[in-house]
Amino acid sequence: MLSRAARPALRAGGAAVSSRAVAPSPATYATLREIEGRLKSIRNIEKITKTMKIVASTKLTRAQKSMHDSRAYGKTNNQVFESAETKALEGDGKKKLVVVCSSDKGLCGGIHSGLSRFIRRVKDGENFDLVIIGEKARNQLQRTHAPSIVLSFAGAGKDIPTFAESQAIADQITQLSGNYSDIEIIHNKFINATSYEPTIIAAYSAEAIAASPNYSAYEVDEDELLSNLQEYALANSIHWALSEGHACEISARRNAMDNASKNAGEMIGKYQILYNRTRQAAITGELVEIITGAIASEEM
Amino acid sequence: MNSLRIARAALRVRPTAFSAPLQRRSYAEAVPDKIRLSLSLPHQAIYKSQDVVQVNLPAESGDMGVLAGHVPSIEQLKPGVVEIIEESGGSKQFFLSGGFAIVQPNSLMSITAVEGFPLEDFSPEAVRSQIAEAQKVASGGGSEQDVAEAKIELEVLESLQHHLK
Repeated sequence: MLSRAARPALRAGGAAVSSRAVAPSPATYATLREIEGRLKSIRNIEKITKTMKIVASTKLTRAQKSMHDSRAYGKTNNQVFESAETKALEGDGKKKLVVVCSSDKGLCGGIHSGLSRFIRRVKDGENFDLVIIGEKARNQLQRTHAPSIVLSFAGAGKDIPTFAESQAIADQITQLSGNYSDIEIIHNKFINATSYEPTIIAAYSAEAIAASPNYSAYEVDEDELLSNLQEYALANSIHWALSEGHACEISARRNAMDNASKNAGEMIGKYQILYNRTRQAAITGELVEIITGAIASEEM
Repeated sequence: MNSLRIARAALRVRPTAFSAPLQRRSYAEAVPDKIRLSLSLPHQAIYKSQDVVQVNLPAESGDMGVLAGHVPSIEQLKPGVVEIIEESGGSKQFFLSGGFAIVQPNSLMSITAVEGFPLEDFSPEAVRSQIAEAQKVASGGGSEQDVAEAKIELEVLESLQHHLK
């Protein structure tokens, strides 16, 4: 039943496709113009993608420099937790807070969807709340994790992230009412110019820091210091994640635009050949008409 | 102020006097007599695990000097000058806007601060004019937040002015 109903539609579709590909002869001039129009629009697209690529390449060096600096900063910051062997607090039914660092802009390959997929894959079945930086990841995660989103920021990551931004975000996060066991910051790690990997930076809660095995080796004066340290470390880690994510995004955009320009170039080549052939065919057809006309009138 | 300057001059002399025997000893035994310092800002890494002799810190709990083999500790920093005495005997001063200094067990030291610049890069006139501005805001009838911000600004600037003199 269904197949019979579908078949005419398929035939009609096939006819539509074939009429577009091999144009019937009376419409040769029209298709010539059509091809010309399409060629022009592809050229324009190529111009745009090329420009975007150049913009991304110039931004990339600055973004990478800031990434290296903030990475050194973040690693210096986390040294203490490594040597104190700080671990996330286990059990007792507390929620984790997951901070996703993406951005607002697209046209950069699978950077944002990589993060969303990572969360769906790795965090499946875990009890956590989401804080999302950047519109793109928010739109994607809203489909699957809408109830767990507690906070989202737009407008971050337009330019190279500043520390003031990270501080403001960290401040908002610490003001959240939920009593979270730990905070995990997910960002794209820059492996090389073509590969990025969603990675977790752990930002521990003050209790987790105090409970770490080697914490007693350190001399700490006041109790207040610990919560200050925790807040500061959170801002630092967010800054690191944002800077690295930004560099990944720019680099991915450069690659995406490079590929888009290449594809546009290829298409331009193909359409140019098609255009030339069609034009030549039209001219040949005209010549044949003229010559046959001339021969016919000579014979008369 | 004078006594401080003399003390600092004495500090500067000491490392050069001791540096020869200290260096010789470090060849023979593996006793670390240097601190491996990382001093980093969000936008710049000033020291990347470099060996230095001594670091003087403006900690919340009081000013302190850290030599190799210091007890591991976590210190919150006030806005103030961090003085680093390098292996060559020279010293460098940076004004940091506050942060954390962490001494690790094996003479590793990491300092993180939000902002920091060499002390000689500051202009006393600019500091003075900004102090005047901050004082105006702090004593004025602005919102609570503005006044609090101006007071913090004033604290940083006054400490800076104190060190510039």
